[in-house]
This record gives sequence, C-alpha cells and structure tokens, in this order.
Amino acid sequence: MKREHQEAAAGGDRRGGGGGNWYAAAEQEKGKALMGTDDGVDELLAALGYKVRSSDMADVAQKLEQLEMAMGSSAAANDDALLAHLAFDTVHYNPSDLSNWVDNILSELNAPPPLPQPPPPPPADDPLSLQFDLPPAVTEQYTIGTVDLPDGSPCKPADVDELQPEASTASSGWLISQSGHQPEVAKSLRDRKRLKVCSSPPSSTITADAATAAAAQQVVIVDSQEAGIRLVHALMACAEAVQKENLKAAGAIVKQISVLAASQGGAMRKVAGYFAEALARRIYRPQPPRGMGCSSTVESAALDDMLHHHFYESCPYLKFAHFTANQAILEAFAGFRRVHVVDFGMRQGLQWPALLQALALRQGGPPSFRLTGIGPPQPDNSDALQEVGWKLAQLAKTIRVDFRYRGFVAASLADLDPYMLLGPEADGGGVEDDEPEVVAVNSILELHRLLARPGALEKVLGTIRAVRPVIVTVVEQEANHNGRAFLDRFTEALHYYSTMFDSLEGGASPPAAVEVGGHDQAMAEIYLGRQIYNVVACEGAERTERHETLPQWRARMSRTGFDSVPIGSNAFKQASMLLALFSGGEGYRVEENDGCLTLGWHTRPLIATSAWRAAGDPLSTSASCRTASS
Amino acid sequence: MAGSNEINANESKMAVPLNTWVLISNFKLAYNMLRRPDGTFDRHLAEFLDRKVSANATPVNGVVSFDVLIDRSHNLLARIYRPAPATAAGSVPLLTDLYQPPSTDPFPVIIFFHGGSFAHSSSNSAIYDSLCRRFVSLCDAVVISVNYRRAPEYKYPCAYDDGWAALNWASAVPWLHNGKESKPRVFLAGDSSGGNIAHHVAVRAAESGIEIAGNILLNSMFGGNHRTESEKRLDGKYFVTIQDRDWYWKAYLPEGADRDHPACNPFGPNGVKLEGLPFTKSLVIVAGLDLVQDWQLAYAEGLKKAGHFVKVVYREQATIGFYLLPNTNHFYEVMDEIKEFIQANL
Repeated sequence: MKREHQEAAAGGDRRGGGGGNWYAAAEQEKGKALMGTDDGVDELLAALGYKVRSSDMADVAQKLEQLEMAMGSSAAANDDALLAHLAFDTVHYNPSDLSNWVDNILSELNAPPPLPQPPPPPPADDPLSLQFDLPPAVTEQYTIGTVDLPDGSPCKPADVDELQPEASTASSGWLISQSGHQPEVAKSLRDRKRLKVCSSPPSSTITADAATAAAAQQVVIVDSQEAGIRLVHALMACAEAVQKENLKAAGAIVKQISVLAASQGGAMRKVAGYFAEALARRIYRPQPPRGMGCSSTVESAALDDMLHHHFYESCPYLKFAHFTANQAILEAFAGFRRVHVVDFGMRQGLQWPALLQALALRQGGPPSFRLTGIGPPQPDNSDALQEVGWKLAQLAKTIRVDFRYRGFVAASLADLDPYMLLGPEADGGGVEDDEPEVVAVNSILELHRLLARPGALEKVLGTIRAVRPVIVTVVEQEANHNGRAFLDRFTEALHYYSTMFDSLEGGASPPAAVEVGGHDQAMAEIYLGRQIYNVVACEGAERTERHETLPQWRARMSRTGFDSVPIGSNAFKQASMLLALFSGGEGYRVEENDGCLTLGWHTRPLIATSAWRAAGDPLSTSASCRTASS
Repeated sequence: MAGSNEINANESKMAVPLNTWVLISNFKLAYNMLRRPDGTFDRHLAEFLDRKVSANATPVNGVVSFDVLIDRSHNLLARIYRPAPATAAGSVPLLTDLYQPPSTDPFPVIIFFHGGSFAHSSSNSAIYDSLCRRFVSLCDAVVISVNYRRAPEYKYPCAYDDGWAALNWASAVPWLHNGKESKPRVFLAGDSSGGNIAHHVAVRAAESGIEIAGNILLNSMFGGNHRTESEKRLDGKYFVTIQDRDWYWKAYLPEGADRDHPACNPFGPNGVKLEGLPFTKSLVIVAGLDLVQDWQLAYAEGLKKAGHFVKVVYREQATIGFYLLPNTNHFYEVMDEIKEFIQANL
C-alpha cells in the first residue's frame, strides 16, 4: 500500500516548483534514515543538533531507559531530591554529544550525593568593595558580583602620554566562583567526565565537515523599513563595484550612500557611515589620517587600549569573554598549588582581578599565582605593562594570594618562544619545588591577527603546545571576515557590525556606568569602526582583523593537536544571569555550541569562547584526573 | 513501579524507530529536569540544552532564512523562511531579493507557532528550523516562525498576543501580498502549544475581519478539568504524562485558573461561541498514541457543531513528535495532507 501511494504521488504531482523533487528527495532521505550511515553518525539526529553514532544508538537508548526507571522509582517514592539534584547540582556539558551527556547524568546518579556545605563567607575585613548581587533565582552556589581594581599608583612614570590607557580608573570585572560546595570527590568525577567528553570522536568528524561547508550567512533584520533596505542595497552595490574594480561606479554609489545614511537613524546610520568611509578609502586610496591607518603603529597601540577599555565598559561582550574564560581556567586549576596564566593580550589586565578573587576564595586556600602578561611596544618608553602588573600585585596582596608577575613586550605573538613563557620554575626552595606548576594560556581576540602573516598562527600554536598548558582559553569574534572574496567579507562584516551596533543602542551599560554611558558608547563605536576600516580598506599583512568562525577555529585547533574542553552549564547559567544586570539586556543571548559558549544579540552570536587542551598530553590528562589535596 | 516503567519503555520503543525514541526520550529526560515542583522553570538550563541553529541567507536545499525583529518593545523575533530567490547560483541573495515575492502565482504564507507546551523551544530550535524548511519545500510557502513569549515567565495571554502581533505584521508586509491582491494568503499552523495558539489567533482574526485561508493543528495542546479516557489509558505510556500536562497548563494559565479556562478548553463550559463567526477551515491532525487525543477530537467536534469546516487526520499508530524526523509513513503522509489542504485553500 505504501509503495502504490508513493508511485501515484510521484507520477501525478506536478504542481508547484517543489512537487516533483519533493518525493524523490523524500524517498532518498527515508532510505538513509532506515539504513544509517557508513561513517557512523545518525544523519537525521545530526540535522537536529545531536551527534550519535548509529552503532551507539541502542546503547544510548538503554541508558535513557535506565535513567527513566531510576527517576520513575524516585518519583513513586515522592523523592524530589534526586530530580532536584540532577537538575540543579549537575553540571552539564555539550548536550550535542548525547551519549556522554546521558553518561554524565548516570554517573551523577551513581555518585554519592554531595554533603551540604555552607558557601565560603565573603572576607568581611576586605578593603575592596565586593558587592554580592544575587539575582532572584540563585542559591548559595553562585556568588556573583564585581571586583574593582585599586586606584592610583605610587610609581607613576615621569612622562604620562595623554594617550595612556585609563588604567587608573576603577575597572570592574565579573566575579566568578566555583560551584562552591562540591566535595573533592565530585570534582575529580567531573573532570573525568569532561575528559571523556573531550575524547569522543564524533566531534572532530562533524567539525571538520562544518568548517569546509559554507558558513551560514546570518541575517538579522532589526529595521525592516524601506530606507534601511535601500541603504544596505547601496552599500552592497558599491562593494560589488569595488570587487569588479569598477571604481568610477563605486565612487558614484558611495556618494549616494551618505545621502541615504543621513535619512536613517541610530545604529544603521553609524554603521553605514563607517562602511562608506572604508569603501571611500579603498576607492580613492588617499593617505589615511593619523590613528585610522592600516598599519598599526606604536602610537595606535595606546589608543587601541583606551578604546578597548571603553568597549569593555559599554557592552557585555568582553566581560562575557573574561568571565567564561576565567571559569574554564578556574576549573582546570582545581587541585593545583602552583598556577601560571599567560595572557596574550595583557592591556589593562581587566580579566584578572576576578580570577584572583575566585582563587582567593577557593576551597583549601589559594594557589601560588604567576601571571605573564604579553603586550605590544608602547610609546615614550612608558611601561604600561609593568604598571598593570604592579596594580594586580597590590590587589593580590590585599586578598592574600601569593602573586608574581612578569610582562613581555612583543610586537607579534609569533616572536614568542616557549622558554620565554615558562621561565624559571622555582622561585624559592623547599616544598614548592615538588609542586608542578600548571599553565593556562589565555587569548582574547588575539589569534585572528596572526592569520595576516603566513605561518604565524602555526608558530604560536606550536609555542602554546610546547608550554604544555592544562587549558587554553580562546575568545574570538564569531564571524567570517577572512573570506577570499572582498564582497563576501564585506557582506559578512556588514551584517555582523550592524547587529553589534544595534546592541550598543539597545543594551545600555549597567547603572554604575550610566553617567559615562554615552561617552563609553561613542568610544566603543570608534573601536568597532576601526575594525570595520581594517576589514574593508586594508589588505595583506595590514589586514589584521581576520575574524573566523567557531567551526573554522575548531578545525584549526584540532588539526594542530588540541582537543576541545567543553564549557559547562554552570558557566552558561552564571553568564546569563550576569547579562540580566545590563539594562536593555533582554536582547543579549548566551548559547551553547558544541562545548563552546557564544554571546550574541538576538539570534546572532557575536563572540565565542572556547577552551582547549593538548590532545593526548600525559600531563594534561593526569592533571585533569588528579584528585585534589587540600 | 519500576516494572511498569519497563513496560512503558518497551511499548513506546515498539511504536517508533529507535532514533526517534532516543530523540523524544532525550527531550523527556531534559524536560523532567527543567520543571520544578514549585512551578518555576530552569530557563537557563533549558536554553543551555536546547539545540539551536542560526538563520541562513545562503540557500540550503533551495531554502533561505533570516530573522526579523517584529516588535522591539517585546523583543518579538520571527524567523522567515522562503524559497531561495532566483539569483546567481551559490551567491548570497541580496537583501532586496529576499524582500521580493517568491512567485507571481499565489503562494501560501504560513505563520507557524512552534510547540513546547508553551514553555520550551524557540523559533531557532533545530527541530523547528528543520520542520519550517520542510514546509517551504512542500508548497513553496513563505513560513514565518514566531518566537512567542513563553510560560511560566509569560502567562496567558502573552503567547496569543505575540501571535496576533505577528499576524498583523505579516498582513502589512508588501512582498507577502499575493499577486494583485493587497493581502497575503495566510495559514496559521502549529504543533502542541503552537496549535492551541493558532486556534486562538484565528478566533481573534475572525472577530476582526482578517481573513485566514486555513488552520493547521498538529497534535495540538488542549485540555480540561475532566480526565478523558485517552488520558487515563495512555498516561505515561508514550513519553507524556498527565502530570506534566497539568504542570504546563498551570504554568501558562492565569493564577488560580483551572483547566476549563477557555484558553485550555475552548469548547468547554467557559468557551467562546464560534457560531456565525467567519472562522477559518481547519486541518486537525491527531496521533493515536497521544494521550491528549480525546481533547483534540472534541475540539474538532466543537468546530463542526459551530458550523465550521474541519478535516481530521487520525494517525492511529503515531506518537507525539512523529513530524520531527522524516523516518515514518506518518511523517510523509501527514505532510501530503498538509500540502493538499494548503493547495485546496490557497
């Protein structure tokens, strides 16, 4: 009966464009569905975001059944505790990896329940102003607040360049904490689970394919008005003319754009302005004014830092980056007495007060903390890098964390060698010599620059591997601004920055910064404008804003011998709750993507955090499995 | 108790392909963890677990999608799906191309409300992105998937209000108009809670003189205080329990309301009379292993008694969620029914 139906349908149906093809495709699909696939992953579930090997399907089903029965019997016994434990205390990782996700829950079921412990009390005699701001739904597991860097410095350099980054003003970071009261046993259990999650092959198969497949062209239209559409159309037409090297036509259109842009309001007008300016430079190629050029200079480095700080204050993207990276670092450092963070982009060290604070509050006491900060050459021999380190040392002293700092000036990360980063291990004699020092490498919006010079990224990834870190945290813009064709880059960038600018308009800074909100936003727009300029007007080694997407970074990292360390639901939840503190925060969305977290505006992810470890590294492996000694 | 769970697992396993069983059981497990006994919902964990996909203006199997902010005050987003515009192969369509009618012939505009019992999923959930793309390919439709506000944070009537806003928005969009007509040929569609929303938006449309070409209700979510025979017989047998249905209604309905509230039970004691209203034609699809079926069949009866056209498609061996994976006859034959219904009423 089934067969007759299909034949009749296939024969008789010619209506509509999709008619004939529909049935052929449907049959093919159905055949695939019934037979499974060769390379192992169930294609139908993969299309819905779940990676399960066909050969594992029965096993996963059996585990689901087991869970069903366990939960069923506890429900019958009116035991809400189990369900609550599973829901609340369990940290979930990478739901796409269904088999491991289910295993994770099963192991939680079989593990002894955690002893209820009170959270560590906030240090009452702390000179810092620690504000613990608990959103309504939170329990004692989460302590969320802000940490301020101490003001002022007794050793100000003699000449203060007016372009010095405003590091002396208090900068607030999002405080992180461990899921506080889990006993040590549970912690190593969690690490073993995360390790297991890392090593499942389906991840690498899928990501390799995803990277080679065309990246999704994400379009979010926030202003459906006719004028906005015409403006975008004009920008695209201009870019197309530039790609075809029809500069006369391009020049004519770019003039129209300013007219159209003037009639627009808000974000679209500003974005159009920056894109039009970048297009104009490309068309007419005059000398760029100071500070807006393609080549980064020593002067522009300081300006960069200042703008970066304003971007940090005006919207949550960098705070999210620091927060999620810190969470991954904190988890990787669990149980170790000597830890070392290498920061590839030290700037004003905005990320580190929160990590220091979390380490100070760690169960069993803080580790010895070493920080290596990398930064570009600064103008006037001023030593911003050292100054930041000094301030952090002050903070560490007040919260009683043993802290050592070293700054490295490097024009490019590719100039670094492993021995520079590792340095002498033992600073004092005695007990410390026996404790291994574990390293975290942290890169916030730095790796993409390396793509401007062939071989540079590979060298840096090699250097990272040589340092044998327990965790590598990478944050990058979630966009492909590095396509070969100019028009593709332009289109991607237009959609990306339109969404970014819209979020600046829509999501104002938290109440604390409201009085300088306008100023922050204006500076943040300039910060983004410089990126737009670089993507559109520059080429070759000067085009450093070579953003790539998560699938692309995954492919690179896994090719170079790194495994993904999934970021869990605890970090996700806390990041989401912190976003609620931003007024206009309704539009911000945190999403989980195959072990990585992204922050976006509405449905468009704009920044992505991922964590990595060296594949098959015995030190990393044993490090993660270590049970802590208190 | 453990014994009966085992029987339930075996029964449901026999009713659906293994990968479907795994998919729906996975949702069931996740959802059990998200619903708290006190009526609150672990929204953050829900968003963490939900598999989402981005919109894509690059054609995939001849379909493009993009997101639109319909209403800034509520952050009401919708994902628009449409046949790929006829531009050079492989290139990304220009924004202006996306905003052209897909055809000079009449084409359906399907306003789709995703399921999730009013609490789960989003318009960018992978399962619904997949389904909406199918609808486009099925009948060259433009599909507007509405990201309505969800319970328990947003109770009745928020979901209906958002549906109504989407309908009004779509009615005013020039490129959705059909040929010489000054309005689109709108079908309202939804599964589970989405079906319920489609009904209530259709009622508002009928009351306001907005013409709807047809309603498509897939395993739609209705209920009432009374426990029907199918609820009692199928409780816990095929992924769904009476207890979880009750939880979702409590989360959606106003404080203190019971399940005879008209939102839940439109033809119950508190229902609105539909006689004489220009209410649209309905296609009501019922799964024979869905414990809510008696309410869905009663709904269809209610429409008939009020003088409105309704076609019931009863799939005896189908469970909930059969339309999520293209691996059964239920899937393909129901898609055929939907296509036929749309083409007959275009």
